[in-house]
Amino acid sequence: MRFEELGMYPARVEKAVRESPAVVSLHLRSPLPREPSPGQFVMVWLPGKEEVPMSVSGWDGARLRISVAKMGETTSELQRVKKGEYLGVKGPLGRGFELGRGPYLLVGGGTGMAPLIFACRRLRERGERVKVLVGARTSSELLFVTEARRTGAEVEVTTEDGSSGEGGMVTDLLERELPKRPWKVLACGPEEMLVRVVEECVKRGRKVQVSLERYMRCGLGVCGSCVLDPVGWRVCTEGPVFEGRLLLRTDFGKFVRDPTGRRLPLPPGRRG
Amino acid sequence: MSRLTVKLGKLRLSNPTILASGLLSTGSLLCRALREGAGGVVTKSLTLERREGYSTPVVVGVKDGLVNAVGLTNPGGEEYLREELPLAKKGGGPVIVSVAGGKGEEFAEVASKAEEAGADAVELNLSCPHVRGHGLEIGRDPKLVREVVRRTKEVLSIPLFVKLGLSDRIVVSALSAEREGADGVVAINTLPAMVVDVYARRAILSNVTGGLSGPAIRPVALRCVYELYQNLSVPVIGCGGVEDWESAAEFILAGARAVQVGSAVATRGLRVFSEICKGLSNYLKREGIQNVDNLVGRLEG
Repeated sequence: MRFEELGMYPARVEKAVRESPAVVSLHLRSPLPREPSPGQFVMVWLPGKEEVPMSVSGWDGARLRISVAKMGETTSELQRVKKGEYLGVKGPLGRGFELGRGPYLLVGGGTGMAPLIFACRRLRERGERVKVLVGARTSSELLFVTEARRTGAEVEVTTEDGSSGEGGMVTDLLERELPKRPWKVLACGPEEMLVRVVEECVKRGRKVQVSLERYMRCGLGVCGSCVLDPVGWRVCTEGPVFEGRLLLRTDFGKFVRDPTGRRLPLPPGRRG
Repeated sequence: MSRLTVKLGKLRLSNPTILASGLLSTGSLLCRALREGAGGVVTKSLTLERREGYSTPVVVGVKDGLVNAVGLTNPGGEEYLREELPLAKKGGGPVIVSVAGGKGEEFAEVASKAEEAGADAVELNLSCPHVRGHGLEIGRDPKLVREVVRRTKEVLSIPLFVKLGLSDRIVVSALSAEREGADGVVAINTLPAMVVDVYARRAILSNVTGGLSGPAIRPVALRCVYELYQNLSVPVIGCGGVEDWESAAEFILAGARAVQVGSAVATRGLRVFSEICKGLSNYLKREGIQNVDNLVGRLEG
């Protein structure tokens, strides 16, 4: 890779779309050095504020889509940017999903649907069989359900409060679905959910790839802020997508790092 | 690969490539760098107190380099030495602990804790260009260099290296460090720099200014190494844009006994160390040179 490819590329906002009360998608036109693939991320800079890692939720050959949930000051300001404004983008970065022959079962919790909707579209374009299990706390937090259906994928919905689809956890649906076919599983969502997804898949002998989220300072593989111990895997470089089985030997589900690099227990109830 | 073994004072390395300070930073990643072939690794710079550093963006790519202002982020010397150093040591090679500070006693305190914790050597960061009073201001003042090196040397029995940045007085500062007992001099650190985004009409780094590293600074670094080699008797360690065996060999010919590799980790990955070693080894064989030591400073004419 050349150093210039790690530079900040101007990204003009062409469209801002509210996907749910909590999430806004931004369609960005940017001369990226490479085409993004599903599961990869970009570092998005809001000038005057911070730079934050964002999953790519779509790519139409010219425009990049990111889907922003309010996590803090920068993301909440990002939700308010208007058509015509400029952001900065570094990337695409990291290792995305390895996509082969299906059938594929996609399991998304909350905003974890962002990378999965991109994977869903790509798989459907290739004619693969895809089923998507979408979960959220409540119906207003469900993401990309209609869009997933439009790709021709089969979609099942679950909410914790039962306000839409089946009441319960998305992992309950997964348990029921796994034995039915030789699914290959892709998952993204709160880390506690991902741990259950991986455990279930390993138990059933199903291949599973998960996309992880960590505090990321540089996104380029140099600062070490997103490292999983004891193996020393950088979520920004060796990830953010990992083979689930390999993750079980790491900090996955157990530890995260704070901005100074200190290792701390994973906060309970952490959502993706 | 025995052609590649080098000694830096009492410190023996299996090859002359060393991971530069500030990159990779966790113990587990330093361990990986050693296992992937680095002859040694330097930790991020540790300070007495924990430092969060600057907000993002902290690093951005430019043509032939990176510009960064991370802000000496670290969880504090004690915490790092307890939690991360043991993981780094599992890599089986020398772990050099980098120390930063504002005053002589701060350097000495963290350095002696590093020795207690099992560090193989200490590197004093007297060259950070983007944290006021924590680097370059010290390194370009030979009097301050003398003070910091003397105080640290008093409490240390493991080798002590001093990392200097570009300044008019780099040779004078290096001579001061040598006189106070430094076992080697590392040159250079990043050059003060900035990057502007024309659409945002803003400096990209949150700290506005930062330090430029990578191949863009290599000719500058080479000149520094060459002059230091001419004037010092302790080993010089070259740093600045090493990314392949050719650039490593350039530094060695200019007088470096070892080289530090930093930014190239971002573009070439951790395999950069083994790639450099393989290339160097082949080069030495082709040139009929027994050991890389015999190449140090051997410029013709």
